[in-house]
Amino acid sequence: MLAAPWVCRSCVRSLGRIGFSQQFLRRASTDSVKLPPALLERARFLTAEHDQLTAQLASNFDEKIAKRAGEVHRIANAFKKFEHAKASLQELEGLLKSDDAEMRELAQEDLAATNEQLAESSRNLSVALTPKHPFADMPCLIEVVPGPGGTEGRFFADSVFKMYQAYCANKGFRTKVVQYLAADSTGEKGGDGETALQEAVLEVMEEGAYAHFRGEAGMHRVQRVPATEKSGRTHTSAVAVWVLPSFAENATASDGDWDNPESDFYIDPAEVKSEKMRASGAGGQHVNKTESAIRLTHIPTGITVSMQDSRSQHTNRADAWRLLRSRIAQKRREAREEAARALRSSVLSSAQLTRGDKIRTYNYGQDRCTDHRAGLDVHNLPDVLRGGDTLGKVIDAVHGWLTEKDIQALLADEEAAAAAANAPAKGKKGK
Amino acid sequence: MPRLPPSLFWKARQQISPFAPILLPVCRTLDSAANELRWIKQHVNSTSSLVPRKLRIWQACLKRERGMPLQYILGTQPFGPLEILCRPGVLIPRLETESIIYHLSSLIPRPSPQAPPLKILDLCTGTGCIPLLLSSLLFPARTQITGVDISPSAISLSRQNLTHTISLRHLSPSASKSINFTQADIFDLKFLPSLGYKPSELDILVSNPPYISHHGFNTTTERSVRLYEPRLALVPQIHPTSHYNCEPEDIFYAHLLEIVRTLQPKRVLFEVGDLDQAARVVAMVVRGKGFLERYARNVEVWRDEPGVGLEGKAEKMWVGGNVEVEVKGQGRGRGVYFWRE
Repeated sequence: MLAAPWVCRSCVRSLGRIGFSQQFLRRASTDSVKLPPALLERARFLTAEHDQLTAQLASNFDEKIAKRAGEVHRIANAFKKFEHAKASLQELEGLLKSDDAEMRELAQEDLAATNEQLAESSRNLSVALTPKHPFADMPCLIEVVPGPGGTEGRFFADSVFKMYQAYCANKGFRTKVVQYLAADSTGEKGGDGETALQEAVLEVMEEGAYAHFRGEAGMHRVQRVPATEKSGRTHTSAVAVWVLPSFAENATASDGDWDNPESDFYIDPAEVKSEKMRASGAGGQHVNKTESAIRLTHIPTGITVSMQDSRSQHTNRADAWRLLRSRIAQKRREAREEAARALRSSVLSSAQLTRGDKIRTYNYGQDRCTDHRAGLDVHNLPDVLRGGDTLGKVIDAVHGWLTEKDIQALLADEEAAAAAANAPAKGKKGK
Repeated sequence: MPRLPPSLFWKARQQISPFAPILLPVCRTLDSAANELRWIKQHVNSTSSLVPRKLRIWQACLKRERGMPLQYILGTQPFGPLEILCRPGVLIPRLETESIIYHLSSLIPRPSPQAPPLKILDLCTGTGCIPLLLSSLLFPARTQITGVDISPSAISLSRQNLTHTISLRHLSPSASKSINFTQADIFDLKFLPSLGYKPSELDILVSNPPYISHHGFNTTTERSVRLYEPRLALVPQIHPTSHYNCEPEDIFYAHLLEIVRTLQPKRVLFEVGDLDQAARVVAMVVRGKGFLERYARNVEVWRDEPGVGLEGKAEKMWVGGNVEVEVKGQGRGRGVYFWRE
């Protein structure tokens, strides 16, 4: 039973104590997701609704019905596949009990494949049931700000900014540099022509860019020997990347509806203080000032945005408003997610994604880029920084991880809801 | 002006660029020097020349150091959504003008497509920035705008600006028909008949005339304005035939009010230098004889940003001891606006 010929008794006992099985078992997240009955019930309900809607559509076309049918189509499809897999599994189990030996052998062969199919279809079903992120279809703003510390972080911030720019170029995403504030001091130059960056904002104008990049938000850590370092010591510094939802330039009223007070993007203009740089003296024809900087302060939250990139105050103001809206929408969304998380069981508390978490490390010495959440190590760091396929691999891995988290959150929500339904008296007392 | 500490120059060199200390005496702050240097670099990068890039940046910085306005070095100035060409000899469009024109356009009800186009007259147009901005804000097809200036170079530049903004697609091509620029001296007796407006046919009269006094020109203007911008556009010249009994810097307003009396426009907006000048202009309107009486009860003074209201607190100003006038917005006194019932 044991690989070793002889093991001392106390050692065997201690092995039992530390929970051998817990440590080396694969966790549930990578196995087939066990779907709770509540979720299955919902899927069944939605599928029934889908069938009913398609029947209605066959008789007379209505835009509203068609839209709703399109929404639930994915879920209905996934649920049907899941049902199919389950049915075939039951059939196989029936065959396994049959008297015919040859039949049993055939069923045994098929069993593994069918089990796998069931696992996959159940995962697909839970992905389909996961609500889409409300900002998923939007373009996004990627904000790169060096972390506290010396110029090394600023140099690397430039690298990160260029990495995303190149990645978008490789993927064919349209981008626009909204803000790029650099201080090209004379004495110091980073490696690879990096300039010391103060703050940069890149707008990715492709629809769905937010969903693509939202996993990139967080602290990016770099470990390398800076170009300015004389004695060859490795430094660690950090760069913050924020991903904010943005509006398409030609947004239609429906998806760019920031005048609607219900929208996350709505800001009451009375709550925003707008400041301009004012030249001293008489103004008007007496002076010709070039200061076009605009600073907006959202008074209730204290969020401040200042924009001075363009010579045109008009452009600066428009950009500042856009950035302010995006930041506030993101903040509102985060607050809502925080509240939802507090309601949930503590299972997921470790999986929170906030701005403060270190999410990725770029190690130059080992030519390695590690994503701490997806647990992925890739080599060929130059290709990552060029925004090549290696970076794509990392981003895809993060995507997988995020989807997994969303499913877990959904399951936890369903469980919490079921628990609340079972014990309503207790819930009331708690409040 | 207070002396800048040497440490600031050192910081500019260390933190921004070796070119930054050159700009510092004109720009006064690190932020502003960094911005101007960035715009100079962007301009140099976007235009091609045989001269090496760094040399061109350096030359531009030296010009700026001597006080030349950045707008003349770069050749353009943004004005609302438009890009206006600038050239020595023509006044550079100001941000304050932009904000009062924005406010004016927000007051004008959207004309229905069937209605005849709004007739707008801009006197002392300079680069033509006001007609172009009004056209872009009120739609070219619904306006018929005339810009007038005495300087031939201003008129040629304003015509160039019209084609320039159209070629950049900031304005629709139909604007080339709805905007025209004429060279004329508004003090000339033949000027008004040459425009061919019937009485009360004009919808809006706008003007940003020269309004700085001789003393003010020597004391309150910025060095770059004094040395590089045309005096013709800043300080009113005493016209030999003028007979107005007012301060020398208000001569244009006195004459503009004569024009108002004749053309009887529905709305009038003048840019002014400060609140005192605004008060003097308001007094001229209120005490005016003849047709001006119809405007006397609808006069407002606008500050730099007339749209930004101090909520709930309506600011009032007393003119001539007995007339109460509303002052709108924040900043310094910038405009006098009146309309007839």
